[in-house]
Amino acid sequence: MSSGVQYLLFEEPTGYALFEVTLQPETIGSRLNEVQEAATDLAKFGKLVKLVSFAPFKGAAHALENANDVAEGTVNDHLKDLLELNLPKRSKKKKIVLGVSDIKLASGIKESLKGIECDTSEVVQDLLRGIRLHGTKLLKQLQEGDIERAQLGLGHAYSRSKVQFSVQKNDNHII
Amino acid sequence: ARGGPKGGSKVIIEPHRHAGVFIARGKEDMLVTRNLTPGESVYGEKRIAVDVPAATPDGVPTKVEYRVWNPFRSKLAAGIMGGLDEVYITPGKKVLYLGAASGTSVSHVSDVVGPEGIVYAVEFSHRSGRDLITMAKKRPNIIPIIEDARHPQKYRMLVGMVDVVFADVAQPDQARIIALNSHMFLKDQGGVVISIKANCIDSTVDAETVFASEVQKLRKERVKPQEQLTLEPYERDHCIVVGKYQRSSK
Repeated sequence: MSSGVQYLLFEEPTGYALFEVTLQPETIGSRLNEVQEAATDLAKFGKLVKLVSFAPFKGAAHALENANDVAEGTVNDHLKDLLELNLPKRSKKKKIVLGVSDIKLASGIKESLKGIECDTSEVVQDLLRGIRLHGTKLLKQLQEGDIERAQLGLGHAYSRSKVQFSVQKNDNHII
Repeated sequence: ARGGPKGGSKVIIEPHRHAGVFIARGKEDMLVTRNLTPGESVYGEKRIAVDVPAATPDGVPTKVEYRVWNPFRSKLAAGIMGGLDEVYITPGKKVLYLGAASGTSVSHVSDVVGPEGIVYAVEFSHRSGRDLITMAKKRPNIIPIIEDARHPQKYRMLVGMVDVVFADVAQPDQARIIALNSHMFLKDQGGVVISIKANCIDSTVDAETVFASEVQKLRKERVKPQEQLTLEPYERDHCIVVGKYQRSSK
Protein backbone atom coordinates (compact mmCIF):
# COMPACT_ATOMS: atom_id res chain seq x y z
CA MET A 1 0.00 0.00 0.00
CA SER A 2 1.16 3.51 -0.67
CA SER A 3 1.91 5.73 2.25
CA GLY A 4 -0.53 8.33 1.00
CA VAL A 5 -0.11 11.51 -0.92
CA GLN A 6 2.48 13.97 0.42
CA TYR A 7 2.36 16.78 -2.11
CA LEU A 8 -0.26 18.30 -4.39
CA LEU A 9 0.11 20.10 -7.69
CA PHE A 10 -2.47 22.73 -8.50
CA GLU A 11 -2.55 24.65 -11.78
CA GLU A 12 -3.72 28.26 -11.40
CA PRO A 13 -4.25 30.66 -14.29
CA THR A 14 -1.46 32.73 -12.70
CA GLY A 15 1.03 29.96 -12.10
CA TYR A 16 1.74 26.51 -10.65
CA ALA A 17 1.21 25.94 -6.96
CA LEU A 18 2.80 23.15 -4.96
CA PHE A 19 1.18 22.18 -1.66
CA GLU A 20 2.29 19.84 1.07
CA VAL A 21 -0.30 17.59 2.68
CA THR A 22 0.28 18.08 6.39
CA LEU A 23 -2.43 15.80 7.69
CA GLN A 24 -3.18 12.56 5.92
CA PRO A 25 -6.87 12.23 5.13
CA GLU A 26 -8.18 8.73 5.54
CA THR A 27 -8.71 7.03 2.23
CA ILE A 28 -11.65 5.01 3.41
CA GLY A 29 -13.41 7.97 4.89
CA SER A 30 -12.93 10.26 1.91
CA ARG A 31 -16.56 10.12 0.95
CA LEU A 32 -17.85 10.50 4.44
CA ASN A 33 -19.50 13.73 5.40
CA GLU A 34 -16.89 14.84 7.93
CA VAL A 35 -14.05 14.80 5.41
CA GLN A 36 -16.16 16.48 2.75
CA GLU A 37 -17.16 19.19 5.15
CA ALA A 38 -13.56 19.73 6.20
CA ALA A 39 -12.80 20.57 2.57
CA THR A 40 -15.58 23.16 2.59
CA ASP A 41 -14.44 24.77 5.84
CA LEU A 42 -11.31 26.86 5.32
CA ALA A 43 -10.27 26.67 8.99
CA LYS A 44 -10.23 22.89 8.82
CA PHE A 45 -8.88 22.62 5.30
CA GLY A 46 -6.07 25.09 6.05
CA LYS A 47 -4.70 22.54 8.49
CA LEU A 48 -4.76 19.81 5.86
CA VAL A 49 -2.56 21.48 3.24
CA LYS A 50 0.26 24.02 3.26
CA LEU A 51 1.64 26.02 0.33
CA VAL A 52 5.24 25.06 -0.37
CA SER A 53 5.94 27.13 -3.44
CA PHE A 54 4.25 29.09 -6.18
CA ALA A 55 5.77 29.55 -9.63
CA PRO A 56 4.03 32.46 -11.35
CA PHE A 57 3.89 32.73 -15.12
CA LYS A 58 6.04 35.46 -16.68
CA GLY A 59 3.26 37.03 -18.69
CA ALA A 60 0.25 36.35 -20.86
CA ALA A 61 2.16 34.46 -23.56
CA HIS A 62 3.92 32.29 -20.98
CA ALA A 63 0.58 31.55 -19.29
CA LEU A 64 -0.98 30.52 -22.60
CA GLU A 65 1.95 28.26 -23.43
CA ASN A 66 1.56 26.55 -20.06
CA ALA A 67 -2.23 26.34 -20.37
CA ASN A 68 -1.78 24.51 -23.67
CA ASP A 69 0.74 22.14 -22.10
CA VAL A 70 -1.57 21.46 -19.16
CA ALA A 71 -4.42 20.75 -21.58
CA GLU A 72 -2.25 18.29 -23.51
CA GLY A 73 -0.78 16.73 -20.39
CA THR A 74 2.83 17.66 -21.20
CA VAL A 75 5.29 18.76 -18.56
CA ASN A 76 6.38 22.32 -19.24
CA ASP A 77 9.96 23.27 -18.23
CA HIS A 78 8.49 25.85 -15.85
CA LEU A 79 6.64 23.07 -14.02
CA LYS A 80 9.67 20.79 -14.10
CA ASP A 81 11.80 23.51 -12.49
CA LEU A 82 9.27 24.03 -9.72
CA LEU A 83 9.10 20.32 -8.91
CA GLU A 84 12.86 19.77 -9.09
CA LEU A 85 13.54 22.73 -6.86
CA ASN A 86 10.94 22.09 -4.20
CA LEU A 87 10.41 18.37 -3.87
CA PRO A 88 12.88 16.65 -1.55
CA LYS A 89 15.53 14.53 -3.21
CA ARG A 90 14.51 10.95 -3.63
CA SER A 91 15.89 8.33 -1.34
CA LYS A 92 15.72 4.58 -1.65
CA LYS A 93 13.67 4.17 1.48
CA LYS A 94 11.02 6.77 0.93
CA LYS A 95 9.19 7.56 -2.24
CA ILE A 96 7.68 10.93 -2.92
CA VAL A 97 3.99 10.85 -3.81
CA LEU A 98 2.62 13.84 -5.68
CA GLY A 99 -1.11 14.30 -6.13
CA VAL A 100 -2.00 15.39 -9.67
CA SER A 101 -5.37 16.16 -11.22
CA ASP A 102 -4.82 14.65 -14.66
CA ILE A 103 -3.62 11.09 -15.34
CA LYS A 104 -1.86 12.16 -18.54
CA LEU A 105 0.15 14.85 -16.79
CA ALA A 106 0.87 12.38 -13.98
CA SER A 107 2.54 9.92 -16.35
CA GLY A 108 4.45 12.79 -17.95
CA ILE A 109 5.80 13.85 -14.57
CA LYS A 110 6.78 10.29 -13.71
CA GLU A 111 8.73 10.05 -16.96
CA SER A 112 10.60 13.33 -16.77
CA LEU A 113 11.31 13.37 -13.06
CA LYS A 114 12.67 10.12 -11.71
CA GLY A 115 11.73 9.00 -8.24
CA ILE A 116 8.36 10.71 -8.09
CA GLU A 117 5.19 8.71 -7.83
CA CYS A 118 1.94 10.31 -8.88
CA ASP A 119 -1.49 9.79 -7.38
CA THR A 120 -4.74 10.72 -9.12
CA SER A 121 -7.14 8.95 -6.77
CA GLU A 122 -10.38 10.32 -5.41
CA VAL A 123 -8.70 11.48 -2.20
CA VAL A 124 -6.41 13.63 -4.35
CA GLN A 125 -9.37 14.94 -6.35
CA ASP A 126 -11.16 15.87 -3.13
CA LEU A 127 -8.10 17.72 -1.86
CA LEU A 128 -7.78 19.55 -5.19
CA ARG A 129 -11.46 20.48 -4.97
CA GLY A 130 -10.69 22.04 -1.61
CA ILE A 131 -7.80 24.06 -3.08
CA ARG A 132 -9.97 25.16 -5.99
CA LEU A 133 -12.68 26.26 -3.57
CA HIS A 134 -10.45 28.29 -1.27
CA GLY A 135 -8.15 29.52 -4.03
CA THR A 136 -6.89 32.99 -3.17
CA LYS A 137 -7.01 32.40 0.57
CA LEU A 138 -4.44 29.63 0.30
CA LEU A 139 -2.18 31.63 -2.02
CA LYS A 140 -1.38 34.52 0.22
CA GLN A 141 0.27 36.78 -2.33
CA LEU A 142 -2.91 36.89 -4.43
CA GLN A 143 -5.77 39.32 -3.82
CA GLU A 144 -9.49 38.62 -3.96
CA GLY A 145 -10.56 38.62 -7.60
CA ASP A 146 -7.05 38.07 -9.00
CA ILE A 147 -7.78 34.50 -10.04
CA GLU A 148 -11.02 35.45 -11.79
CA ARG A 149 -9.28 38.23 -13.70
CA ALA A 150 -6.54 35.83 -14.74
CA GLN A 151 -9.12 33.23 -15.78
CA LEU A 152 -10.83 35.83 -17.94
CA GLY A 153 -7.64 36.87 -19.71
CA LEU A 154 -6.37 33.34 -20.16
CA GLY A 155 -9.81 32.05 -21.19
CA HIS A 156 -9.97 34.56 -24.01
CA ALA A 157 -6.38 33.89 -25.09
CA TYR A 158 -6.81 30.11 -24.98
CA SER A 159 -10.11 30.14 -26.85
CA ARG A 160 -8.90 32.63 -29.44
CA SER A 161 -5.86 30.50 -30.19
CA LYS A 162 -8.07 27.41 -30.57
CA VAL A 163 -10.28 29.14 -33.10
CA GLN A 164 -7.42 30.86 -34.92
CA PHE A 165 -5.28 27.84 -35.54
CA SER A 166 -8.07 25.49 -36.37
CA VAL A 167 -8.60 23.53 -39.53
CA GLN A 168 -12.26 24.35 -39.21
CA LYS A 169 -11.35 27.98 -39.67
CA ASN A 170 -12.64 28.31 -43.17
CA ASP A 171 -16.33 27.70 -43.03
CA ASN A 172 -17.83 27.15 -46.41
CA HIS A 173 -19.23 30.41 -47.56
CA ILE A 174 -21.84 30.26 -50.23
CA ILE A 175 -21.28 33.05 -52.69
CA ALA B 1 -41.89 52.32 -33.70
CA ARG B 2 -44.67 50.08 -34.91
CA GLY B 3 -44.75 46.29 -34.73
CA GLY B 4 -43.73 44.77 -31.49
CA PRO B 5 -43.52 46.02 -27.99
CA LYS B 6 -41.84 49.30 -27.21
CA GLY B 7 -40.60 50.83 -24.05
CA GLY B 8 -41.82 53.92 -22.34
CA SER B 9 -44.54 54.30 -19.81
CA LYS B 10 -46.80 51.58 -21.19
CA VAL B 11 -44.56 48.75 -20.00
CA ILE B 12 -44.18 47.91 -16.35
CA ILE B 13 -41.28 45.75 -15.18
CA GLU B 14 -41.86 43.39 -12.29
CA PRO B 15 -39.37 41.09 -10.66
CA HIS B 16 -39.93 37.41 -11.40
CA ARG B 17 -40.07 34.82 -8.63
CA HIS B 18 -36.53 33.88 -9.66
CA ALA B 19 -34.09 36.60 -8.61
CA GLY B 20 -32.44 38.36 -11.54
CA VAL B 21 -35.27 37.55 -13.94
CA PHE B 22 -38.04 40.06 -14.70
CA ILE B 23 -41.42 40.18 -16.40
CA ALA B 24 -42.34 43.05 -18.69
CA ARG B 25 -46.06 43.69 -18.50
CA GLY B 26 -47.35 45.49 -21.55
CA LYS B 27 -49.80 44.43 -24.23
CA GLU B 28 -48.48 40.94 -23.59
CA ASP B 29 -46.24 39.69 -20.83
CA MET B 30 -42.65 38.88 -21.66
CA LEU B 31 -39.71 37.38 -19.84
CA VAL B 32 -36.79 39.84 -19.71
CA THR B 33 -33.36 40.22 -18.14
CA ARG B 34 -31.67 43.45 -17.13
CA ASN B 35 -29.16 44.35 -19.86
CA LEU B 36 -25.59 44.28 -18.58
CA THR B 37 -24.49 46.29 -21.64
CA PRO B 38 -27.22 48.91 -22.18
CA GLY B 39 -27.65 50.06 -25.75
CA GLU B 40 -26.68 46.74 -27.29
CA SER B 41 -28.56 43.70 -28.49
CA VAL B 42 -26.66 40.42 -28.74
CA TYR B 43 -28.64 38.54 -31.37
CA GLY B 44 -31.22 41.05 -32.53
CA GLU B 45 -33.52 40.62 -29.54
CA LYS B 46 -35.81 43.50 -28.53
CA ARG B 47 -34.82 45.86 -25.78
CA ILE B 48 -37.11 47.74 -23.43
CA ALA B 49 -35.99 50.85 -21.60
CA VAL B 50 -37.99 52.01 -18.60
CA ASP B 51 -37.72 55.17 -16.56
CA VAL B 52 -36.77 54.76 -12.97
CA PRO B 53 -37.86 57.70 -10.81
CA ALA B 54 -35.13 59.46 -8.88
CA ALA B 55 -34.35 57.92 -5.53
CA THR B 56 -34.07 61.32 -3.82
CA PRO B 57 -36.19 64.44 -4.47
CA ASP B 58 -33.24 66.31 -6.00
CA GLY B 59 -31.92 63.31 -7.95
CA VAL B 60 -32.36 62.68 -11.67
CA PRO B 61 -34.57 59.95 -13.10
CA THR B 62 -32.60 57.19 -14.79
CA LYS B 63 -33.28 54.66 -17.50
CA VAL B 64 -32.86 50.92 -17.06
CA GLU B 65 -32.74 48.64 -20.06
CA TYR B 66 -34.04 45.08 -20.29
CA ARG B 67 -33.68 42.47 -23.04
CA VAL B 68 -36.50 40.19 -24.11
CA TRP B 69 -35.76 36.53 -23.42
CA ASN B 70 -37.60 34.34 -25.90
CA PRO B 71 -38.63 30.92 -24.52
CA PHE B 72 -38.78 29.55 -28.07
CA ARG B 73 -35.07 30.27 -28.45
CA SER B 74 -33.76 29.45 -25.01
CA LYS B 75 -34.49 26.25 -23.11
CA LEU B 76 -33.72 27.88 -19.79
CA ALA B 77 -36.27 30.60 -20.55
CA ALA B 78 -38.75 27.89 -21.54
CA GLY B 79 -38.11 26.15 -18.24
CA ILE B 80 -38.69 29.35 -16.29
CA MET B 81 -41.89 30.06 -18.24
CA GLY B 82 -42.97 26.47 -17.57
CA GLY B 83 -42.69 27.13 -13.86
CA LEU B 84 -39.46 25.53 -12.60
CA ASP B 85 -39.30 25.80 -8.81
CA GLU B 86 -35.58 26.38 -8.61
CA VAL B 87 -32.99 27.28 -11.25
CA TYR B 88 -30.02 28.04 -8.96
CA ILE B 89 -28.89 30.76 -11.40
CA THR B 90 -29.28 34.02 -9.46
CA PRO B 91 -27.32 37.29 -9.07
CA GLY B 92 -23.74 36.81 -7.93
CA LYS B 93 -23.60 33.09 -8.74
CA LYS B 94 -20.86 31.29 -10.64
CA VAL B 95 -22.20 29.15 -13.45
CA LEU B 96 -20.50 26.52 -15.58
CA TYR B 97 -22.44 26.56 -18.83
CA LEU B 98 -21.84 23.50 -21.03
CA GLY B 99 -22.96 23.76 -24.64
CA ALA B 100 -22.79 27.54 -24.87
CA ALA B 101 -23.19 27.61 -28.70
CA SER B 102 -23.09 31.18 -30.05
CA GLY B 103 -23.94 32.52 -26.64
CA THR B 104 -27.49 33.80 -27.07
CA SER B 105 -28.79 32.11 -23.90
CA VAL B 106 -25.42 32.63 -22.23
CA SER B 107 -25.88 36.39 -22.61
CA HIS B 108 -29.11 36.21 -20.61
CA VAL B 109 -27.45 34.10 -17.93
CA SER B 110 -24.74 36.77 -17.86
CA ASP B 111 -27.48 39.37 -17.28
CA VAL B 112 -29.00 37.31 -14.48
CA VAL B 113 -25.80 36.68 -12.51
CA GLY B 114 -24.74 40.30 -13.04
CA PRO B 115 -21.33 41.92 -12.56
CA GLU B 116 -20.63 39.98 -9.35
CA GLY B 117 -21.28 36.61 -10.97
CA ILE B 118 -19.30 34.60 -13.52
CA VAL B 119 -20.35 32.41 -16.45
CA TYR B 120 -17.78 29.88 -17.64
CA ALA B 121 -19.11 29.20 -21.13
CA VAL B 122 -17.85 25.99 -22.74
CA GLU B 123 -18.42 25.30 -26.43
CA PHE B 124 -16.58 22.85 -28.67
CA SER B 125 -17.66 23.99 -32.12
CA HIS B 126 -15.21 26.53 -33.48
CA ARG B 127 -17.81 28.05 -35.68
CA SER B 128 -20.18 29.08 -32.90
CA GLY B 129 -17.18 29.53 -30.65
CA ARG B 130 -16.09 32.55 -32.63
CA ASP B 131 -19.44 34.25 -32.05
CA LEU B 132 -19.21 33.33 -28.40
CA ILE B 133 -15.78 34.96 -28.04
CA THR B 134 -16.96 38.13 -29.79
CA MET B 135 -19.97 38.37 -27.50
CA ALA B 136 -17.89 37.67 -24.38
CA LYS B 137 -15.54 40.56 -25.22
CA LYS B 138 -18.29 42.99 -24.28
CA ARG B 139 -19.34 41.11 -21.17
CA PRO B 140 -16.52 40.70 -18.68
CA ASN B 141 -18.48 38.24 -16.53
CA ILE B 142 -18.31 35.61 -19.31
CA ILE B 143 -15.19 33.47 -19.64
CA PRO B 144 -15.30 31.77 -23.05
CA ILE B 145 -13.77 28.29 -23.24
CA ILE B 146 -13.50 26.67 -26.65
CA GLU B 147 -12.86 23.09 -25.67
CA ASP B 148 -14.52 19.67 -25.50
CA ALA B 149 -16.72 19.40 -22.40
CA ARG B 150 -15.88 15.66 -22.36
CA HIS B 151 -12.43 16.58 -21.12
CA PRO B 152 -12.79 19.03 -18.24
CA GLN B 153 -9.15 18.31 -17.37
CA LYS B 154 -8.17 20.36 -20.41
CA TYR B 155 -9.71 23.56 -19.06
CA ARG B 156 -9.13 23.06 -15.35
CA MET B 157 -6.82 26.10 -15.26
CA LEU B 158 -9.59 28.35 -16.51
CA VAL B 159 -12.44 27.38 -14.19
CA GLY B 160 -13.00 27.90 -10.48
CA MET B 161 -15.50 26.19 -8.18
CA VAL B 162 -19.03 26.97 -9.33
CA ASP B 163 -22.48 27.13 -7.72
CA VAL B 164 -24.35 25.70 -10.71
CA VAL B 165 -23.69 23.49 -13.71
CA PHE B 166 -26.06 24.15 -16.60
CA ALA B 167 -25.88 21.77 -19.56
CA ASP B 168 -27.44 21.89 -22.98
CA VAL B 169 -25.02 19.67 -24.86
CA ALA B 170 -27.44 17.35 -26.71
CA GLN B 171 -25.01 14.42 -26.74
CA PRO B 172 -25.81 10.73 -26.13
CA ASP B 173 -23.26 10.63 -23.31
CA GLN B 174 -24.38 13.90 -21.74
CA ALA B 175 -24.97 12.41 -18.28
CA ARG B 176 -21.30 11.41 -18.20
CA ILE B 177 -20.19 14.83 -19.44
CA ILE B 178 -22.17 16.54 -16.68
CA ALA B 179 -20.83 14.14 -14.06
CA LEU B 180 -17.18 14.68 -15.06
CA ASN B 181 -17.58 18.45 -14.88
CA SER B 182 -19.51 18.38 -11.62
CA HIS B 183 -16.93 16.19 -9.91
CA MET B 184 -14.24 18.71 -10.83
CA PHE B 185 -15.89 22.08 -10.51
CA LEU B 186 -19.24 21.94 -8.70
CA LYS B 187 -19.50 22.79 -5.03
CA ASP B 188 -21.02 20.26 -2.68
CA GLN B 189 -24.80 20.86 -2.60
CA GLY B 190 -24.51 22.90 -5.80
CA GLY B 191 -27.23 22.99 -8.46
CA VAL B 192 -27.43 20.97 -11.66
CA VAL B 193 -29.75 22.12 -14.46
CA ILE B 194 -29.89 19.97 -17.57
CA SER B 195 -31.80 20.22 -20.79
CA ILE B 196 -32.51 16.80 -22.29
CA LYS B 197 -33.50 16.32 -25.88
CA ALA B 198 -34.85 12.79 -26.09
CA ASN B 199 -33.92 12.32 -29.76
CA CYS B 200 -30.27 13.11 -29.12
CA ILE B 201 -29.93 10.36 -26.54
CA ASP B 202 -31.95 7.54 -28.07
CA SER B 203 -34.42 7.95 -30.89
CA THR B 204 -35.69 4.36 -30.78
CA VAL B 205 -37.68 4.61 -27.54
CA ASP B 206 -40.22 7.16 -26.36
CA ALA B 207 -39.18 10.37 -24.68
CA GLU B 208 -40.40 9.46 -21.19
CA THR B 209 -38.24 6.34 -21.17
CA VAL B 210 -35.19 8.36 -22.18
CA PHE B 211 -35.82 10.97 -19.47
CA ALA B 212 -36.24 8.29 -16.82
CA SER B 213 -33.01 6.55 -17.75
CA GLU B 214 -31.08 9.84 -17.83
CA VAL B 215 -32.36 10.72 -14.36
CA GLN B 216 -31.21 7.30 -13.20
CA LYS B 217 -27.73 7.91 -14.62
CA LEU B 218 -27.52 11.23 -12.78
CA ARG B 219 -28.49 9.58 -9.49
CA LYS B 220 -25.50 7.27 -9.84
CA GLU B 221 -23.27 10.33 -10.22
CA ARG B 222 -24.35 11.85 -6.92
CA VAL B 223 -26.92 14.20 -8.40
CA LYS B 224 -30.17 14.10 -6.47
CA PRO B 225 -33.00 14.91 -8.91
CA GLN B 226 -35.47 17.45 -7.59
CA GLU B 227 -37.63 18.40 -10.55
CA GLN B 228 -38.42 17.35 -14.08
CA LEU B 229 -40.35 19.55 -16.47
CA THR B 230 -41.27 19.02 -20.12
CA LEU B 231 -40.70 22.06 -22.30
CA GLU B 232 -44.06 21.97 -24.12
CA PRO B 233 -45.24 24.08 -25.87
CA TYR B 234 -41.84 25.62 -26.60
CA GLU B 235 -39.97 22.44 -27.55
CA ARG B 236 -41.09 18.95 -28.40
CA ASP B 237 -39.74 15.89 -26.53
CA HIS B 238 -37.48 18.05 -24.44
CA CYS B 239 -37.29 18.29 -20.71
CA ILE B 240 -35.31 20.09 -18.05
CA VAL B 241 -34.10 18.23 -15.01
CA VAL B 242 -32.99 20.14 -11.93
CA GLY B 243 -31.03 18.47 -9.19
CA LYS B 244 -28.63 18.95 -6.35
CA TYR B 245 -25.05 17.70 -6.34
CA GLN B 246 -24.22 15.71 -3.26
CA ARG B 247 -20.52 15.09 -3.15
CA SER B 248 -20.76 13.51 0.24
CA SER B 249 -22.67 10.25 0.30
CA LYS B 250 -24.50 9.64 3.49
